[in-house]
Amino acid sequence: MNKYLGNKSALALFLLPALILYSVILIYPVLQTVLRSFYDWDGLSTLTFSGLSNYRELFSDPLLATSLKNGLIFAIVLAVFQIGLGTLLALICADPRTRGRKILKTSYFIPVVLSVTVVCQLWIAIYDPTNGLINRLFDLLNIPYQQNWLSSPTASIIAIAFVNAWQFMGYQFALLYAGVKSVPEDYFEAATIDGCSKWRAHWHVTLPLMRETYKFCFIIAITSGIGAFVQMLIMTNGGPGTTNYTMTFMIYRYAFMESNYGYACAVSVLLVLISLLATVVINKLFDRGQTA
Amino acid sequence: MSKTALSKFRQAVLQIPLWLYFIVSVYPLFWMVSYSFKNNDEIFVSNPFGLPTHFRYENYINAWTQFNIPRYFLNSLVVSTISTLFILLLALMFAFAVARMRWRFRSAVRTYMIIGMFMPLQVIMIPLAILVRDFHLTNTYGALILPYIAIGLPFSSMIFYGFLIAIPKEIEEAACMDGANIYRLFLKIIMPLALPAIATVAIFQFLNNWNEFTLAYILISDENMKTLPLGLLFFQGSYSTDWGAMGAVMTMASLPMVLVYLFLSEQVERAMTVGSAVKG
Repeated sequence: MNKYLGNKSALALFLLPALILYSVILIYPVLQTVLRSFYDWDGLSTLTFSGLSNYRELFSDPLLATSLKNGLIFAIVLAVFQIGLGTLLALICADPRTRGRKILKTSYFIPVVLSVTVVCQLWIAIYDPTNGLINRLFDLLNIPYQQNWLSSPTASIIAIAFVNAWQFMGYQFALLYAGVKSVPEDYFEAATIDGCSKWRAHWHVTLPLMRETYKFCFIIAITSGIGAFVQMLIMTNGGPGTTNYTMTFMIYRYAFMESNYGYACAVSVLLVLISLLATVVINKLFDRGQTA
Repeated sequence: MSKTALSKFRQAVLQIPLWLYFIVSVYPLFWMVSYSFKNNDEIFVSNPFGLPTHFRYENYINAWTQFNIPRYFLNSLVVSTISTLFILLLALMFAFAVARMRWRFRSAVRTYMIIGMFMPLQVIMIPLAILVRDFHLTNTYGALILPYIAIGLPFSSMIFYGFLIAIPKEIEEAACMDGANIYRLFLKIIMPLALPAIATVAIFQFLNNWNEFTLAYILISDENMKTLPLGLLFFQGSYSTDWGAMGAVMTMASLPMVLVYLFLSEQVERAMTVGSAVKG
């Protein structure tokens, strides 16, 4: 049997295509990025070792502060909207007396399967200052809060983050709904029999038991906030000015528009480190809750 | 009011947020589809919110014939189909070698593959663009297909691994007794057994590849090679004056995926959320 399942040529045939492609296209570029972040490099030929100077320059780059701030706002909008509101919707929807559950779940999920370009174009139209849905709706309701949504330096990042939050609400909702459903009913019943109100029972029983779900939902929300790019690119091209920059936008600009590849690689490395740090912190936070 | 009527009423009130969000989720799409049948006057002045009074199909005909939509569709279809097929094959073979075959470094190799699941794509953008250029793949299908396969592999092979590891050991013994060689075992026994997992991964990867934007944006500049998400980007500037046609373009671009989802909603949701089980 060992000989049968240890067939060397079969092993090579099964293993190598995946392994080679993965190494060449994913792992090798990662190493390249790390290495090149220590060089001055225009993407063509001249490589000059520059040590940590890219990183030193990066920390005094005003775009970094803007990008980090925007990443944070983006992440907060996703977390509040998708996880906060999503939890509320999931709890109500999981109640056995709720009607139309299938229609609700399906309609929440439809935006997830749409192309991000369609969604962004649609919301450009919705945000349009004169003909867009939102300002027209405010008009109709006599609310004097018409905005130039996408060109306001303060509101636009939130407006843009909302588009992402809206599109992927259904995805987080599906995770949260599955999480609520995975909590055994009798735990919840025991708590209500003990005199807990329904919402207190959810707060003290259902939500703590969904730790793994929340861990994953927060990791998704925070890392996609930090790495956000497509929505900014399509909806405002990072502007007005550079107000809507994110770290991925910096990478894109420095590498592909300014041919400052070494510097862009340093931004990439920092982005990965921040994403990893966020993941570790979220894991730690949720695991600490477990032992307490 | 009796007690049951009161609790029924409370239950109905409690469900209001669900239906409010239903509107938030669906109305923008309804609005898009309805303006795809209107002209600018109806959209801007006479009838901005409701159903079109007169269905202007010509928006669709204009959009299909004037813009490059058939080309974008074809490109997306080619790229998504080929990369999904290769992901399925390579990931299944890899998972078989790691989960079922016996050799020394299999757990190390598995860990090596898992790393890729946690790697933000932004970190490979720059070297990948240069790699594609150096291999003379710029503006070819290969420029997207090869990266899409590589990026799909870690996740897919872990799904397959989880599935294959649970199959009883006796399968191989029986195959060995019957004189089937290892390739026959893979093709005739393992592959059919893995069909449910294959379906899940296929849906997940096809959707991902169909909608992928960032890499396509960096790696493709030739108008004739653009995929649908990329091609749609440039309508915004060029055709911003004709909202009806724009709406028709967007509706047509969305229809295939929405139909697939409506027909296979449970499978699609399972496929999209299965990642939480693997990564979490």
